[in-house]
Amino acid sequence: MAEHYETDETFLARWIEGKLSDEERMAFEKTEAFKEFELINKQAQLLSAPSIDAEAAFQKVKSKLQEEKPTKVRSLRRWFAVAASVVLLLGLGYLFTATQTHTTAIGATQTIALQDGIEIHLNSGSSITHKRFFWSLDKEVDLEGEAYFVIEKGNDFAVNTSKGQVTVLGTEFNIKDRGVFQVKCYEGKVSFTADDTDVGTILTQGEQLLIEKDKQIEESTFEAQAPSWRNGISNFEEQPLYLVLEELTYLYPITFESSTVDTDRLFTGSFTHNDLETALKTTLIPMGIRYEITSTGNTIILSEK
Amino acid sequence: MSEKEPSICEEKNYNTLFHDYYESATKYIYYKCGDLQQAEDIVQNVFIKLWKLCATISFSKAKAYIYRACNNLFLNEVEHKKVVLKHQKTLVQNIDNESPDFLVEMDEFREKLMAAINTLAVREREVFLLSRVEKKTYKEISEMTGLTVKAIERRMSKALRELREQLGKEIKV
Repeated sequence: MAEHYETDETFLARWIEGKLSDEERMAFEKTEAFKEFELINKQAQLLSAPSIDAEAAFQKVKSKLQEEKPTKVRSLRRWFAVAASVVLLLGLGYLFTATQTHTTAIGATQTIALQDGIEIHLNSGSSITHKRFFWSLDKEVDLEGEAYFVIEKGNDFAVNTSKGQVTVLGTEFNIKDRGVFQVKCYEGKVSFTADDTDVGTILTQGEQLLIEKDKQIEESTFEAQAPSWRNGISNFEEQPLYLVLEELTYLYPITFESSTVDTDRLFTGSFTHNDLETALKTTLIPMGIRYEITSTGNTIILSEK
Repeated sequence: MSEKEPSICEEKNYNTLFHDYYESATKYIYYKCGDLQQAEDIVQNVFIKLWKLCATISFSKAKAYIYRACNNLFLNEVEHKKVVLKHQKTLVQNIDNESPDFLVEMDEFREKLMAAINTLAVREREVFLLSRVEKKTYKEISEMTGLTVKAIERRMSKALRELREQLGKEIKV
């Protein structure tokens, strides 16, 4: 007869754990095999694995972890931290110093609207540079050329030019910083402070100041609703001809060959921005100057009649 | 709400795990491979890994992780060697007060038992030794190996049958 321990595949395991029923156990204990199993079980329980020095292993693992951490994990983290700081500083530096420049080509104008109700109308061949970020903290622009400013009240706004700084508190004004330097106030109040002085010149509505070459500041009044260039016209009142010619080169892609002509003569009049031929006629013919356009169309040769 | 589990990243908790499971895990792997040095290396590597992963393993899962990771690492090591077991002589002498002849016979028998254990397949050998030498319950062995209790019982029974087959003729009853 086949015994339980042979047919039941968990029988012996249950016997080891004392989980057999009394009936099963008593029947098993009567078998020949029982004594053999019991001897194996008893003797096996007297065996032991080689001793293990857990404390030594613990020290070994600890020292391995110590070795690895500062050299690999931590130093890498430190480098990440350094790299992150550099990126952050560069980023912050960029935020605080980044600028944006708007430049108009010859014959083109552009209107730039900045935050806080500041509008800048840029005449041709001019450029304006302002901070890209945190504009409201530092409302300052750098101007080259000519621009008309419309500034809402309450703005502490300044324009840096080659001659000095123009500061305002809500106004409309025009700055021309080319061969001649001119500030015209159309509304409100502006103050001009030359680079080499601390005293500001205050202009109110209808007042203008002029600096020709390196001469003194001249103040005068004018009557206008808005600068004429905003209407596509350049106006001159008793201005030397070279300034008129210069103005033409900002509005049209041309250069003048004027070595045989006296360009210090004064000119009063205006020219349009829309048509080169008309502009040349209205400025040069009244002055008794002949002009020839070269075949490339870029150079105008002037000569006395 | 459940209590917040202790973090393995805290050295005190990590040390506790080490002292609780290092020896047991090392013996477990030793019974598989029969190479104590290899077993120690495997378990030490697992504990190094445990520290590095301390933030991702919860304290309650650490025990299961340790045994499973040891087992996985061991699977990569191919060679299985014979297990060398010691005999707890002092214990025997206290329990048994038999004739010198009998003691010599028993010494011989244990030698043969050890040899027979080494002829078992590794899967039976590890279960048998964990149960008889380490005195682990089937449930504990099941947790270590990831096998069901039923599977452990089958392996245990098979180990006993095979040992008897080899040793039966040696036993004078």
